[in-house]
Amino acid sequence: MTYFETKQPLVADIFSRYPDSPQGRRSALMPLLREVQDAEGFVSESRMAEIAALCGTTATEVRSVMSFYSTYHTLPTGKYHLQVCSTLMCALAGADELWDHLVESLDVQPGEVSPDGRFSVQKVECLGSCGTAPVMQIGDDGYYENVGPGKCAQILESLRNDLQPLPDNPVPVTVGDDGRQVLATGQAVGSSVTGLHRLPGHAGGDA
Amino acid sequence: MKVTVDGTEIDLPAGTSAIDAVFSAGGDVPYFCAHKYLSPVGACRMCLVESGSPRRNPDGSFVMEGEGDAATPKVFWFPKPMASCTMQATEGMHIRSAKTSQVVAKAQAGMMEFTLLNHPLDCPTCDKGGACELQDRAFEYGYGASRFGFDRRHADKHYPLSDFVILDQERCIHCKRCVRYFEEVPGQEVLDFIERGGHTFIDTQEGGLPTGFSGNITDICPVGALLDNVARFRGRNWEYDHTPTTCTLCPVGCSITVDARNGRLERIVARENRDVNEAWICDAGRFGHVFASEERLTTPLIRDEDGQLVAATWDAAIDAMKRGFSGMRTADVALYLGADSTLEEGAALEALAAATGTRSVDHAPRYEVSVTAPQATLTDVATADAIVVIGADLGEEAPVLELRILEALRGGLIPPEFAHGTAIADLRLVERPARRPERLAVIGRESRLWAHAGHRVSADSQGALARLTHPDTDELRAVVALLDGAERPVIILGADVLSGAGGSFSANLTDLASRTGARVIAIPAAANSRGLAALNLVPRAGGLPVWRAQEAPAAFISRLDPGVRAAGFTVVHDTHLTATARLADVVLPAVTNYEKRGTVQNLEGRLLPLHPAAIQSGESADLIRTLSALAEALGVKAPARGLRGAQALLADHLGLDLSDLPARGALHTFRRTFAGPAAPHTPTLWTERMHARPLSWVDRIEELVHSDWQLPGAPAAPPARAGGSD
Ligand code: SF4
Ligand code: SF4
Ligand code: FES
Ligand code: FES
Repeated sequence: MTYFETKQPLVADIFSRYPDSPQGRRSALMPLLREVQDAEGFVSESRMAEIAALCGTTATEVRSVMSFYSTYHTLPTGKYHLQVCSTLMCALAGADELWDHLVESLDVQPGEVSPDGRFSVQKVECLGSCGTAPVMQIGDDGYYENVGPGKCAQILESLRNDLQPLPDNPVPVTVGDDGRQVLATGQAVGSSVTGLHRLPGHAGGDA
Repeated sequence: MKVTVDGTEIDLPAGTSAIDAVFSAGGDVPYFCAHKYLSPVGACRMCLVESGSPRRNPDGSFVMEGEGDAATPKVFWFPKPMASCTMQATEGMHIRSAKTSQVVAKAQAGMMEFTLLNHPLDCPTCDKGGACELQDRAFEYGYGASRFGFDRRHADKHYPLSDFVILDQERCIHCKRCVRYFEEVPGQEVLDFIERGGHTFIDTQEGGLPTGFSGNITDICPVGALLDNVARFRGRNWEYDHTPTTCTLCPVGCSITVDARNGRLERIVARENRDVNEAWICDAGRFGHVFASEERLTTPLIRDEDGQLVAATWDAAIDAMKRGFSGMRTADVALYLGADSTLEEGAALEALAAATGTRSVDHAPRYEVSVTAPQATLTDVATADAIVVIGADLGEEAPVLELRILEALRGGLIPPEFAHGTAIADLRLVERPARRPERLAVIGRESRLWAHAGHRVSADSQGALARLTHPDTDELRAVVALLDGAERPVIILGADVLSGAGGSFSANLTDLASRTGARVIAIPAAANSRGLAALNLVPRAGGLPVWRAQEAPAAFISRLDPGVRAAGFTVVHDTHLTATARLADVVLPAVTNYEKRGTVQNLEGRLLPLHPAAIQSGESADLIRTLSALAEALGVKAPARGLRGAQALLADHLGLDLSDLPARGALHTFRRTFAGPAAPHTPTLWTERMHARPLSWVDRIEELVHSDWQLPGAPAAPPARAGGSD
């Protein structure tokens, strides 16, 4: 069965956002991809062909667009898709150890899903929350910050019981008016910062 | 428009791109992604130049530099080098190429280093080596050294995109030519970039490339990433003997270059001809050449005492023919030839028929009708604002005509021509061009073209012409309205209309064409059917056509395979041991059209030259020489002594001067044509012998040994050839 067969109102709604022209139809590509991935965790080849037919393009082009974004998956993902930042700040703060620990304890490699169907893992580039390194994102839900060994164990334990802890920060990262990243609690992040100045136009002295 | 390139002022037409401005000034700019017949996109950043323009004050005067009379408009230079393929040259612009600018030279060398970061540099094993744009440009514009000390990208080096095209993903430099080609030219979005950044590779999600025009990407890939799988590993570019000639598999007559090595035809690539095929050829023309070097007849064959065909010399074959024809009147020998024979060959056969007095002369395939409506050229097709195709399956009849139709649908923008050739970057061409399917109507059976047509009428093609005179359905009325409303309409007629067309055909066509002002292309049945129609090569009163060859008392059949023999002595002249040749008393080896010198006329009436490629075919002879042998056996005077003699015949009879035909060919209309009842004809592009057999290397070499193939060079004994020389 095709995915959108039974979702005509949704399809109509998505197409209504774009001009009713061949080019306009192609623009619906992204929301249609998103829809399938959110529902199924990945976009299979048959879904690519289906979306291509809807947009009036070819599966090649759907795959081309999709593969440009590392956030679309062509392989099945687990219920909890753990994305570990592996860029410099997080790497300095122990992201490699976090990654090794996850891969080992969950017994899953990138592209695989753990036997219980719960976990899949992916290394990602900077999530833009360097102040709280190491950072991990679960699905699209949000950031888990300062994920050290203890916090990691805690998170995994809850996930195994399907009790996903609330993220520390919903995406996108909260940045204060003054341009500084703050924790969900409102506390400014970064401990060893010196020489930062408030942006012009903001009241108050140096942070 | 005045533009200053490297200090020299030149005059250019408005709209010229900066890259063409530099080439027009006699300069050079390295480029990878720009291509003459594709949209310029600025993907490779190799074509950098420095440029600047004068600026105007609010009052319209130029911002000046200098004092008094010495003041000149001040040139405001762009702060960084610019890609010249996507930049339009404007009035007063100044451009500096690497010749005069250190900045440009350094930027290009840097770009080159960047492009080469992930390039495998396996030139020694790459089929493109020696004819590679990347190799040449790296040599001319690169640093000559890399500072990249890390592992290069590794990816699939033998990734078949189809049976014909193989991709080396490591070699791709992401110029996007192949992707744009498929989108813009045949209109098939089947290739695209997958992934991003340094991981980007080319792939298709359609389970392979569509056949038809896929091979063109192997020509335009600037590196050795996309390769012709039929020719892969068959030779290095400098080892091939390159012969510019014309494809005669169909009546389009595309310009091609035939590459032979060690006497074998190994590869065919497209050659630019702005008037015919631009830069494209079809897959049959490119990949379907294997017959030219496989299972060829290399010597005459005669029947031995046991009635078996055995190899013989030309002299023995002439003796056998003398014996076979003895006691017969020369007029009893029917003369037949294939309709892809050259005009010269046709003239020689016409002359021999006159000498022998035979009434049974024919060429095939051909159609009975001759079309007198105004002729459309291929350029007319590409620039038409309405095209009606009736009863044609272009994929089988004239593939590249289909590309010219699609060109018209995307606006008919033909890149301008400069002294340095076709514009390298025509800025009017854009990615994802808007298409005008409503300008195309197809009538008849469903074909590949249907997907592109705004009007599709499923109808009996032969009746369609009459019905267009008095349209009886809304669909047909729409087609007539399309023709009526157009300024440059073209009607294209295919086999379904032309084969067996009835009496009112010509009247209907003339009527429709004059009423709508349309020009017409009637696709001829074979590559040179149109040219041969100018010669009296149809049965005279009481003569037998090819399809009644079995009733002839004797026959000479050249490069035709009717599958029957004449009642009496039969001579077959062919390149292969065909079914007809197996029935013959004497078989004479023929050369293919790749090995001929001569002239053919294509579907628009353009005379196009054939040149002989260096292919080993033993003692094979073209029809002119073979007819000399036949004349000798019949005891009549040879009709023409070689090619020049045949051309003299054409000059005498038709006033045709073929001695210096331009490489692009020349349009010519013959005043008189000969027609007569014809057998039904269904064109097919691919024949069985055109398919490459999948052979392993071991099998291939074994086969070469078995077929006595040897390195050409010094033949043991000079081959005895019959007849005159050219
Ligand atoms: S495969 Fe060739 S033509 Fe296609 S993008 Fe790569 S280098 Fe360009
Ligand atoms: S379109 Fe016709 S002439 Fe051109 S390459 Fe194909 S077969 Fe040859
Ligand atoms: S480096 Fe990990 S969030 Fe920026
Ligand atoms: S950027 Fe590639 S040729 Fe201009």
